[in-house]
Amino acid sequence: MFLRSIRAHDFRNLEGEIQWGQGINVIYGNNGQGKTNWLEAMHLLAHAKSFRTRHLHEAITFGKSAASVSGHVAQGNEIERELQVDIRANTRQTLVNRKREPLAHYAAQLHAVWFTADELEVVRGGPEARRSFIDRGAISLHPSYAQALGSYSKVIKQKKRLLQQAGEGRLKFAEVVELLEPWNQQLVSLSAQIHRSRTEYVNLLNDALEHSLFGDTLSIRYVSSLEGKGDLNNYEELIAQRLQIRMQAEVFAGACLIGPHRDDLSVLFGDRNLRSFGSSGQQRSALITLDLAAISVYHSQHQDYPIFLIDDVDAELDGIRIERLLEYLDGRTQTFVTTSKKNHFERFNQRAHFYEVSAGQAREDIVLRAAIG
Amino acid sequence: MLDYAEPVTKLIDEFKRLPSIGQKSAQRLAFHILRTPAAEVERFIEALREVKQRITECSVCNNLTDVNPCRFCTLPSRDHSLICIVEQPYDLVAVEKTRSYKGLYHVLHGSLSPIRGIRPSDLRLENLLPRLKPENNEGVEMQEVILATNPNTEGEATANYISRLLKPLGLRVTRLAMGMPVGSDLEYVDEVTMDKALTNRHEM
Repeated sequence: MFLRSIRAHDFRNLEGEIQWGQGINVIYGNNGQGKTNWLEAMHLLAHAKSFRTRHLHEAITFGKSAASVSGHVAQGNEIERELQVDIRANTRQTLVNRKREPLAHYAAQLHAVWFTADELEVVRGGPEARRSFIDRGAISLHPSYAQALGSYSKVIKQKKRLLQQAGEGRLKFAEVVELLEPWNQQLVSLSAQIHRSRTEYVNLLNDALEHSLFGDTLSIRYVSSLEGKGDLNNYEELIAQRLQIRMQAEVFAGACLIGPHRDDLSVLFGDRNLRSFGSSGQQRSALITLDLAAISVYHSQHQDYPIFLIDDVDAELDGIRIERLLEYLDGRTQTFVTTSKKNHFERFNQRAHFYEVSAGQAREDIVLRAAIG
Repeated sequence: MLDYAEPVTKLIDEFKRLPSIGQKSAQRLAFHILRTPAAEVERFIEALREVKQRITECSVCNNLTDVNPCRFCTLPSRDHSLICIVEQPYDLVAVEKTRSYKGLYHVLHGSLSPIRGIRPSDLRLENLLPRLKPENNEGVEMQEVILATNPNTEGEATANYISRLLKPLGLRVTRLAMGMPVGSDLEYVDEVTMDKALTNRHEM
């Protein structure tokens, strides 16, 4: 996919339209001018979400009641669509070619992979960030997986409430068993679906890990919380059995103890766990390596590249790594990097497009390109 | 001070109690009533009063009805060996519109949801089990119970719960199939429905 242009209106401090180039786009400027805001706008256009906040209305320019981001996305040589996301206080609307499109269909139009300081949680934070990284990828392969995840979280919430009521002593244990059963029964098939989708995606991802780029020997493995409890190949049977055995413990804890919401992804650097032993430089290259694998898996399934957003690249990676990374990406994805030091990119002057951001407005630096090209 | 005269404010407040009516809609409705001739408003009031006075729940199937037991329970043409369990009276109407289902109904008036505090005892299940016995079913042996609760997590839990309840009775318990909507194009079917339809495909 190729994001040809983007236009923002009352979105944070952004205003106006930018025409992007294919290949590498370098967005530079002083701090606080809105570089990351442009990446956020692209991310919003792709997924109708922000990578910074759960509350989209926070992104509306102060004093305004609505914000809008739109852009033209080309697929192949012939197809070009106009995507648009409108945000108001409590609602967001997604449009394709100016017609409303439900989110489930909208989200498949443009796919983004992003590398930001917050995303480092994937390699150094808790399992939740890793599960959400896998889930995003798995959804891009099978959109219906999103529905399974949604149902799963609804069932978990209902069950949790039951367990809490039981813990408050309002129900007898025999009663609880009878009440839990209808929800556990749904958890069995939904968990199996989630387990299958995630392991399938993690296997694809592991096969796609690029080991040559940073000279790192990274490996990943999906770690089910049921590991060591029985035969994972017979997942449905195993989890049904575990739900049965652990029912009393769940009532006692007032929480759902069994299921893929407690699974994790192990990221190994050599044979050591990156989360506990990796240096922060290693953690950064590991995340980049995971992102590149996600891009490559997406490409092998869709015969198309997602766009790649890298925020504050020189704060996160050293000069050599940036160079290797950009060399690798050149000719593959359309990449957007923000930086406060554009001289890091001098080697790419002829191949990259440069945009200077000042007070929310971005302007292509054509002089720089022309002077060298 | 109130924005409107007291009776108007009172009416707006009452409209706002209705589901999916906010301040603006309530104002619009109130002003519509103010402009409407008194006779028409009387008719409206009468309709409201009548519905509250005359409509009760059927003592057999819990459906809303003006005669007790309701017509579905008493019509001789209905097949007493079949019973279809639905969440709401409007779900019954949806099944009935097929004109091909001739069995009985049982309305639960809800579905299980611990979050909303709805337990099995809040569903209208107490009169279900007795109904399934021939002596309470005009001497007819019940053959099959169709679970037609909604295809969401709450409806599914409700169906699971009832099917476990009925298991000891040795009845045939079935669940509505999920799959393709008829008369639409394949391209418009969402992935989940398509997935179900593929799983539940049948021999030709």
